[in-house]
Amino acid sequence: MLHEHHPLVGREIAVREAAPLSIRAVADCARFSLRIDPARIVEASKAFGLSLPERIGDVTVSGDRLAVRLGPDEWYLTAPLAENQAIERDFAKLYATVPHSLVDVGHSEVGIEVEGTAALLALRSGIAFDIEAIPAGTGCRTIFNKAQIVLVREAENRFRIEVWRSFADHVWGILQAVSREIAIDI
Amino acid sequence: MTSYRIPGRGRIDRNKPVRFTFNGASYPGFQGDTLASALLANRVHLVGRSFKYHRPRGILSAGSEEPNALVGTSRGPGRFEPNTRATVLEVFDGLSATSQNHWPSLKWDIGAINDALYMLFSAGFYYKTFMWPKSFWNKVYEPLIRGAAGLGNSPTVPDPDTYASRFAHCDVLVVGAGPAGLAAVLEAGRSGAKIILCDEQAELGGSLLSETDAGIEGLSGWDWLKSAKDELAAMPNVTVLPRTTAIGYYHQNLLGLCQRLTDHLASPLEGAPRERMWKVRARQVVLAQGSIEKPLVFDGNDRPGVMLAGAARSYLNRYGVKVGNRPAVVTSHDSAWLAAFDLAQASAKVAAIVDVRPEVAGHLKQRAAGLGIEVLTGWTVTGTRGRLRVSSVHVNPVSRGGVVGPARTIACDALLMSGGWTPSVHLFSHTKGKLDWNEEGQMFLPGERTEESRCAGAGNGSFGLAAALAEGAAAGAAAAVDAGFKAKAAAYKVDDEVPLTGISCRELPTDRNASKAKAFVDFQNDVTAKDIRLAVREGFKSIEHIKRYTTNGMATDQGKTSNINGLAIASDAVKRPAPAVGLTTFRPPYTPTTFGAFAGYNRGELFEVTRKTPIDAWAEENGAVFEPVSLWRRAWYFPKPGEDMHAAIARECKAVRESLGMFDASTLGKIEIVGPDAAEFLNRMYTNPWSKLGVGRCRYGVLLGEDGFIRDDGVIGRVSSDRFHVTTTTGGAARVLAMMEDYLQTEWPDLKVWLTSTTEQWAVIALQGPNARKLLEPLVDSIDLSEEAFPHMSVGEGRICGAPTRLFRMSFTGERGYEVNVPARYGRAVWEKLYEAGQQFGITPYGTETMHVLRAEKGYIIVGQDTDGTLTPDDAALGWAIGKAKPDFVGKRSLTRPDMLKDDRKQLVGLLTADPNTVLEEGAQIVLDPNQALPMMMVGHVTSSYWSATLGRSIALAVVEGGRAREGETIHVPMPDRTHQARIVGTVFFDPENKRLSA
Amino acid sequence: MLLIRCPYCEAERPEVEFVYAGEAHIARPADPSKLTDDEWKSFLFIRSNPRGTHFERWRHQHGCARFFNAVRDTVSDKFVMTYKAGLPRPIETELEEARS
Repeated sequence: MLHEHHPLVGREIAVREAAPLSIRAVADCARFSLRIDPARIVEASKAFGLSLPERIGDVTVSGDRLAVRLGPDEWYLTAPLAENQAIERDFAKLYATVPHSLVDVGHSEVGIEVEGTAALLALRSGIAFDIEAIPAGTGCRTIFNKAQIVLVREAENRFRIEVWRSFADHVWGILQAVSREIAIDI
Repeated sequence: MTSYRIPGRGRIDRNKPVRFTFNGASYPGFQGDTLASALLANRVHLVGRSFKYHRPRGILSAGSEEPNALVGTSRGPGRFEPNTRATVLEVFDGLSATSQNHWPSLKWDIGAINDALYMLFSAGFYYKTFMWPKSFWNKVYEPLIRGAAGLGNSPTVPDPDTYASRFAHCDVLVVGAGPAGLAAVLEAGRSGAKIILCDEQAELGGSLLSETDAGIEGLSGWDWLKSAKDELAAMPNVTVLPRTTAIGYYHQNLLGLCQRLTDHLASPLEGAPRERMWKVRARQVVLAQGSIEKPLVFDGNDRPGVMLAGAARSYLNRYGVKVGNRPAVVTSHDSAWLAAFDLAQASAKVAAIVDVRPEVAGHLKQRAAGLGIEVLTGWTVTGTRGRLRVSSVHVNPVSRGGVVGPARTIACDALLMSGGWTPSVHLFSHTKGKLDWNEEGQMFLPGERTEESRCAGAGNGSFGLAAALAEGAAAGAAAAVDAGFKAKAAAYKVDDEVPLTGISCRELPTDRNASKAKAFVDFQNDVTAKDIRLAVREGFKSIEHIKRYTTNGMATDQGKTSNINGLAIASDAVKRPAPAVGLTTFRPPYTPTTFGAFAGYNRGELFEVTRKTPIDAWAEENGAVFEPVSLWRRAWYFPKPGEDMHAAIARECKAVRESLGMFDASTLGKIEIVGPDAAEFLNRMYTNPWSKLGVGRCRYGVLLGEDGFIRDDGVIGRVSSDRFHVTTTTGGAARVLAMMEDYLQTEWPDLKVWLTSTTEQWAVIALQGPNARKLLEPLVDSIDLSEEAFPHMSVGEGRICGAPTRLFRMSFTGERGYEVNVPARYGRAVWEKLYEAGQQFGITPYGTETMHVLRAEKGYIIVGQDTDGTLTPDDAALGWAIGKAKPDFVGKRSLTRPDMLKDDRKQLVGLLTADPNTVLEEGAQIVLDPNQALPMMMVGHVTSSYWSATLGRSIALAVVEGGRAREGETIHVPMPDRTHQARIVGTVFFDPENKRLSA
Repeated sequence: MLLIRCPYCEAERPEVEFVYAGEAHIARPADPSKLTDDEWKSFLFIRSNPRGTHFERWRHQHGCARFFNAVRDTVSDKFVMTYKAGLPRPIETELEEARS
């Protein structure tokens, strides 16, 4: 088995003092960029085994599968690593009748989870829009400091960042800096 | 030396004494002091020397508008900061401050000779004085000016501090925590709206902190302030940010707030950032910035000990410091009388109140009489005395007809002045909000707004406590309502407030030679009234021109105390009303702001994103030297112990040509193009034809802009009939994808094709050299690598070393080559396995420099190096890549524009220098005749130039006008040391028959 | 930093997520080869550059990634409205409505 190299593997930041905050690199998963005519969302949902969200910014989850609608014809899909090939096969079957683009981006991205009562504060170090105003269960593409990310608000105090692997160190560095401020409550 | 600190007065914490040093001498102070108040308490008035004339200067103000009292401060090793205003710097135990702009000492400064030579330094002096002789410029004037210019000294080591930034959104942002701001924030806060209140000072309260007379709602001003603070502290929806300056007001209610976090602490916590830049987006903004007192303009108004009357009152009431035992007051405004009264009540002997107005309200005169203060109304001030501190003031009566009578000298140890008050409209002005001239008050006031903002209190020209509270409450309530909340403004009852009035003056009348008067308008830039009049005499009529010629208002204080006085004098000299002369533009930041605060987290390693490939760590462990390529850092070359760059490159090149090299090409941009119309889309985007490209084959593609110039290039592989793997240049990846999306979304939305960036999905390992296939064959599954099945320009999918791979056969070196794409997380492991297996062939990792040399030997271009956005495919010798049968592609029409068909277009050629050891400089200009007169006619430039170890000589690529027709001619490259000759040749230096690609 | 309403996301987002993309409503000719050199030059290089109301393109690059159109006042920098790519240029009454 080949060793897999991951920019943030095993890294974790934990703040317990002032406001609880936990930032960690999350386990790898299968990831796809799905581009398809929004009129064919029903067929695509069937292929993925999860109802794809119908509004830009919405997120749907079922079991370990997750879909974020990033744009009018673009969905970001995640699933357990083991299901990677099955998902590709299911969409390949759909292609004959409903042409679309399913591209494996599983190795492009790194997942970072930011959780705790200080999660919002930590993210406000680099995100320009009002993240307090977006409800749990939504997600979008945006900019964190100088890196493009996909941000999903998984729960009130839990966010997931998906970022291209070569930008992950930068995002992590900013989160580390802001974590120090949160730890010493300044 | 007795202290000027008055027992029982002020808001400093007497239980927390501190010690600090100024110019090496140790002084006591208290927590709550500014450096200015603590120095004054220690009878130190002389704080620095002025910028141009090196005149002794003291403390003018008690706030952020301070132009004079600029000091250097040190907060420990590496933490030196010049030009800190002593009036805002909080003292702490161990603070060390030094004065500026003098040598050898503050008291004896050689530079003060400039003061005697003032006639040389009048308005525009640097435009006039340093004109001739021309030869003096480089050797005399320039170093002289450079040596003398600038305030303070620069820090000598990198700033060791860290800085933070934070975005925030709120319903109402209130700027300023004086009475107007507090009334606003209380109202808005009670509505439940989300509020941020910021104030530049350490303590909330603004003018209330300097005021001991006022009563609000039956409480003393200070008690009311305490109750207001308590109420705010109990509101969870209100964020209070003291020590936070609103530095700029930008589009759509975005304000930059710079928060000072640790500058006031003797021992900040380890890792604590020094400052934080808040970027606040507010639905509604209330600006309650208050007002700034104007100096009076008279000869000697800059002497240490001459200060604004309001500042003297602040020092007394807020800091418990008496600025003099025998102060005199000169004024055109009632407010200075209150300073005199407060000082008299604090046992100072007020020498006199000199008011330029003939008539002054009776109640003021009565109070003065009651305190035994002499009053002179209708008098002017014509001079001061005292070398390092004011010792006396000359005052003269002015008759009704304006005749200045004989002077009288009044001894004093401080001179308090007031020329009235200027509303601080800076932030409002940042929004391009219209400013209206108020003739009666001689001031600009906020007019029509452009943003969701309201101005309240003195900053809106509504002076006095009652007005500030009423207007603040109204603004706070209205802002909350506009933000969608219910609010109603409370009414405040203010006790014992006397209305204050005044007039505005130009430079005061004098009985002396006005041309010799040093009546300062801008203290920081040493601009006098006569400088402004001189500028007008010399033809400058607009305040924007007068400002630049005299430098009035151009110092770091942006003219907070000088703009309006300067305007009044200019308006008089031009003989036009002030609004017609104009007001200079206020620009962010409101007060000087550190670069660190702007940079925030983005310094050091986080200055910019440093993208690293999956193989980067291996390269680092194996001694690679890196170079930046767009945001990536790439392995440049891999020196062995004892090797210099030249030797390393020569070895790497040789290895590729003779056996096998490996190269990390992961940074190449990659785009997956999928859909039934994928080939048609590529037909329209790229110059080449794509429909007939077979599955499993690749082609080199050229991408033009609609203008016909080369934008990008790369190899494109057809993975299946509907799926292409496009590669782009490293720097062009995002740009190319954006360009493709643009055409797809807006010109051809009917095409069924989708684009996805896969740059980071794949790690790419280039294996180049005659032994490449031998290495790969045993390691690759399910791809037949035989020459017949997998010729040059093929692509196949299979597995390598257990990882899935998309394998390309392609070459950027001219040797047999493969590019192994594997999913990124496998990149390093596959690289290591290939490196291990390649040892039998002496496999050699090489970097970008060797890649550049090898490709140049083959004449392969690098877009952005050999092209510059003005080269067509034909110019770049890529005419063969144009699908001539295609009806259209992006840029095709431009290729037949007349300019594109000219014979003298710059064309890419090869150059061989006459001396084979000469490696030309990239960017060097090319001329045909080296003996022509200067400036020479340049016909092109060198785009790529290297030492070729393979050929044992230098090679270069260049663009030359009509270059291809000049093949065989000699051109010249003039350089500072000598002129080089070179012969124009073809662009391919090595293996022109491409035999090695399949060798 | 401007706030820009993306007509696809139906949300106001900060300017950092967007890139400017030149003047709007300049369609690429269906058959460029039919254009004279002069007509092609105009298509390539000539833009209206008005002082005031400007029809322009933006892309929500770091959001939904869509190109869209906007009307912006080049003096005040304020957006009057944004609308999806492919929609016709708004008429004056629509702009008046958006301004009020």
